[in-house]
Amino acid sequence: MNEQEKFEKQFRKYPHPVRGFSEKPHLSRRSFLSLAGAGVTASWLAPSLHAAPVIKSSPVTTLNTAKNVIFILLAGAPSHTDTFDLKVVNGTTPATFNPATVNGMLFPTGLMPKIAAQMDQIAIVRSMRSWALVHSLSQTWTQIGRNPAGVLGNVSPNIGSVVAVEKAAERTPGQVFPTFLALNSGGGIGPGYLPSAYAPFKVTPSNAGLKNTTNADGQTRFNQRWDFLHHLDDPLRVNSPDGTAMEDFDEFYSAAKGLMYNPVVTKAFSFTTADSALYGNTAFGNACLMAKQTLAANQGTRYIEITLGGWDMHTNIYAANQLPSLTKTLDNGLGQLIADLKADGLLAETMIVMAGEFGRTVGKVTGAGGRDHYPQQFALFAGGGVKGGRGIGSTDAQGAFTVDPGWSRNRDIKPEDVEATIYSAMGINWTNVRYDDPLGRRFYYVPSSDMDVYGPINELFKA
Amino acid sequence: MKKFKWAALGLFALGVWGLTPVRAQEALAQEPAPPSGSEEQLTTEHAECSFFGATRDRFLPRINNRAESIPGRLTRQFMASAMHLNTTARQKPFAEATGVGGNLIDRYIRADLEAHNITPADKTTDYEFIRRVTLDLTGRIPTVSRVQMFVQSGDQNKRAALIDELLAKPEWTDKWTMYFGDLYKNTASAVQVRIQPEGRNAFYKYLHDSLANNKPYNKMAAEMIGAQGNNSFDQTNGQLNYNVLGVVGGGPTQDIFDSQAANVADQFLGIAHVNCLLCHSGRGHLDSLSLWGGQTTRAQAWGLAAFLSHTWTRSINTAQDPNNPNARYNYFSLDKYTTDYSLNTTTGNRPARQPIGSVKTITPAYLFGGQTPDKGEDYRIALARYVTGDFQFARATVNYMWAAFFGRGLVDPPDQFDPARLDPDKPPPAPWTLQPSNPRLLNALAQSFIDSGYDLKALQRLIVSSDAYQLSSEYNGDWSPEYEQYFARHFVRRLMGEEIHDSIVTAINTLPSYTVNGFTNASTVYGVDSPGFGKISFAMQAPDVVNMPDNGGAVSQFLDVFLRGNRDDQPRKTEGSILQALGLMNDPFVQNRIHATGTGPTATFLAKQLATYTTDDALVTSLFLNVLSRNPTRQEKLDAELMLGAGGAAARKTNAEDLLWTLFNKVDFVFNY
Repeated sequence: MNEQEKFEKQFRKYPHPVRGFSEKPHLSRRSFLSLAGAGVTASWLAPSLHAAPVIKSSPVTTLNTAKNVIFILLAGAPSHTDTFDLKVVNGTTPATFNPATVNGMLFPTGLMPKIAAQMDQIAIVRSMRSWALVHSLSQTWTQIGRNPAGVLGNVSPNIGSVVAVEKAAERTPGQVFPTFLALNSGGGIGPGYLPSAYAPFKVTPSNAGLKNTTNADGQTRFNQRWDFLHHLDDPLRVNSPDGTAMEDFDEFYSAAKGLMYNPVVTKAFSFTTADSALYGNTAFGNACLMAKQTLAANQGTRYIEITLGGWDMHTNIYAANQLPSLTKTLDNGLGQLIADLKADGLLAETMIVMAGEFGRTVGKVTGAGGRDHYPQQFALFAGGGVKGGRGIGSTDAQGAFTVDPGWSRNRDIKPEDVEATIYSAMGINWTNVRYDDPLGRRFYYVPSSDMDVYGPINELFKA
Repeated sequence: MKKFKWAALGLFALGVWGLTPVRAQEALAQEPAPPSGSEEQLTTEHAECSFFGATRDRFLPRINNRAESIPGRLTRQFMASAMHLNTTARQKPFAEATGVGGNLIDRYIRADLEAHNITPADKTTDYEFIRRVTLDLTGRIPTVSRVQMFVQSGDQNKRAALIDELLAKPEWTDKWTMYFGDLYKNTASAVQVRIQPEGRNAFYKYLHDSLANNKPYNKMAAEMIGAQGNNSFDQTNGQLNYNVLGVVGGGPTQDIFDSQAANVADQFLGIAHVNCLLCHSGRGHLDSLSLWGGQTTRAQAWGLAAFLSHTWTRSINTAQDPNNPNARYNYFSLDKYTTDYSLNTTTGNRPARQPIGSVKTITPAYLFGGQTPDKGEDYRIALARYVTGDFQFARATVNYMWAAFFGRGLVDPPDQFDPARLDPDKPPPAPWTLQPSNPRLLNALAQSFIDSGYDLKALQRLIVSSDAYQLSSEYNGDWSPEYEQYFARHFVRRLMGEEIHDSIVTAINTLPSYTVNGFTNASTVYGVDSPGFGKISFAMQAPDVVNMPDNGGAVSQFLDVFLRGNRDDQPRKTEGSILQALGLMNDPFVQNRIHATGTGPTATFLAKQLATYTTDDALVTSLFLNVLSRNPTRQEKLDAELMLGAGGAAARKTNAEDLLWTLFNKVDFVFNY
């Protein structure tokens, strides 16, 4: 029995909810929460907010090749066999895809020419399979790296919140940006049981900049008000015996003021129409642009989540306004992002990770001209030490199953493995176990890491 | 790094937690003993067992390795900074709490404080009290005239009279409908189940009407647990949605029974560990957390879930949605199954359920006493009877209420009751200790609640009438976090988002108007009468916390930064944030309400104030009273008058705007202290 069979047998016997989930509406209700409104953060206040938890871990060597991570969630689940694991189906695949072999991988250069041009920076994992085929559940799974229906699943933090905890100590005094930034990710998973200080700072990119960082009555009057507020209210706000939450409330004010009328903030969180056009002049493109700008500002942001939805194409997938349109949005944004990060020297220290929550059915399209939910999927990696220009693992002729896992564990790659890869690349011990969860039941950074069930895809980083 | 050990995972998966290859240096002293018994059936590894409900971290702040709770921290900080807002002399508390005299709560609290040699804080001043109790009972600050009338009154019983007045107000019903809506997670569109605005509004109406009529709480609970009917949109049968909200997808019907039973145990009995037991026996999992839980098996917990086994919570997909031509609408029906809880599952959200020996089905048996339904009795009606007849029902309810008013429960978190550690006359074996911080008070309060006929208003009246509740948050002397559990002072809390909204519009005495889906539509869409509630002006009147009150618009976004949760997987939180600070300082919701010029209702308040109060002295006092419900201190008044006068008469208007802005951003506006 090979590793894959053992893995599958194990989960047949002791089921993870691989299948059996009823089909749910596509949008998680998380998505209904307003975009900028729900976000909270003060990552730089983190050290004062609570005592260090007990942490245990196994002695592992992390890759430690990436200072930053940009995590792109392709919500709705893109068709892997039409994009990053292209399988040409005669009579089905449109000729406009212009399939061509790039760095040894068949790629739809007609759909995504800019990404094709960056393929030497990109590694594509093709031996990845999702656990479940429910959008909201699997999107959450992707963001927290574990079964949301499992223990602590409902209070598990976003990977980015764990990064914010881990990187809090590396912040320097002048840095005013949040550690964890979430762009176009109003439905994104929050800090779980961790304090709000580690929550994603949720922003909808706008050329007007960050919301509520200016006052309608102008900076002069704002500053007068600020001074008067402190004059009148400092007896209640400062000189407390220690860094308690009430003092934190005043610190939230100080941090908020740090974001106001700040040229660094304005520069990173607003953009010109010319720059926006370079990135395709879309919400996604603007998010990619803002990601580049915030990293270039070096103001403490380390983990950026960007969501690009709309991939759930059950009908007429090849219509002009469907896959061709959305891949163009992706191509303009991601292609330009990789090029700009490279030009700015940031790509070497910034790992881009991109995945949907699962894949789509393979072969000919359905009667409705679309593709339905399917577990085989892909993940894209670039920068931050990733050796580009190749694929990891391969699928059968249809793209239905993994033929070659392409990595040392010799089985399908799972969201938990991607999570471990992110932690390892950022120099975070992925086997850490925290004992500060709600019932002291242990929060594993990667589930069952003491058992070594999952681990980093080290092959991505080896030439 | 060693390779993954399959055999080890197998043992692990079977729940043999203690036998997993934990490295020696990682082994914890409290590592539990391995469980035994075939009823275990834990077929997923421990790290994947389903445990907590979505609102788990409602009570998290206390647990995060913090030496003291958020309320305690807030209060210490708040008071240590030498406020003091009022010069009125404070009285000493508990004067009447002797023997059998005085308030029931005070007798126990006073005895506890004396036994531990702790001096309590003084009592609140009248200003502090009216603001605190008005916010706590009705979710908004008092009006200026009410504050002045109250403070000036020489009536010995004026606090009692104020409490009665507040309990009778419609806004009391609004606030507590919000509270119970949070508790039962009444929301239109959760991840697992969508009851739609129609179902949510129907449930809202049920809760609102029940509270307005002060329906006995045991009757409310019985009506919800035992609800019968076939249309969750029926506005006259909104309690039907209580069980519907327990629906989970992706598994067999037993998963739904489990979820519904876990909700009952959590919300009505304060025992969230039942959810845990519905996956696996407590031994090996709950040993260090709950004496009762560690001894209870999954099979016993199934006895509780079996009360739901005849309930077919059926989603009925019928006609085209009249409001959305592209959608069909689903309502829910509670129909009948005839088989009991079957042990025949291998997939879904919880570990497999397989026969134990020859036992293939589980029949209902109340988890806390073993009672079974009468012959021919509807299972859920029997369950409602046993739950509401359980002393723990009263105990859990008074504890939830206590936590709402005091910032922490007598058992805390309030949904973590350990039934084996509650009886002060039968203390648990060492090293366990009694769980409640004041077990006799908890029992006396529960008995008083029962004797009152499960009267929620009477319970709240008893609580807020007590000196224990009326203690100042200011503490003279050395405060120790250890004192927190004895309630030796009051704990401050940040206002809920809805309370901030409602207090701002109350302060400027200018009300907005919002239209809520289904609230103004008296038509008969969906074939059922939906009478509606009309437009709303206060955020606390909203039937939900998602996209309220302006359908996800600017006001909703302003409120969202105050972490009101989503009644699903995001709990309401009391923490602060940068976005809260940015919102209070710059959001149009506040900004539009501080201006003395412009058109529209929001600009009229300050213009009127300026016209009415022509001296700086009078204007400052009025603005303080309107926003902070108190007079300025001498120093504050001097500072404010100096600021108002700067730049001469020409600048008076903009200076007044700046003063009003400052008051809305003061921490004694944002907090209930």
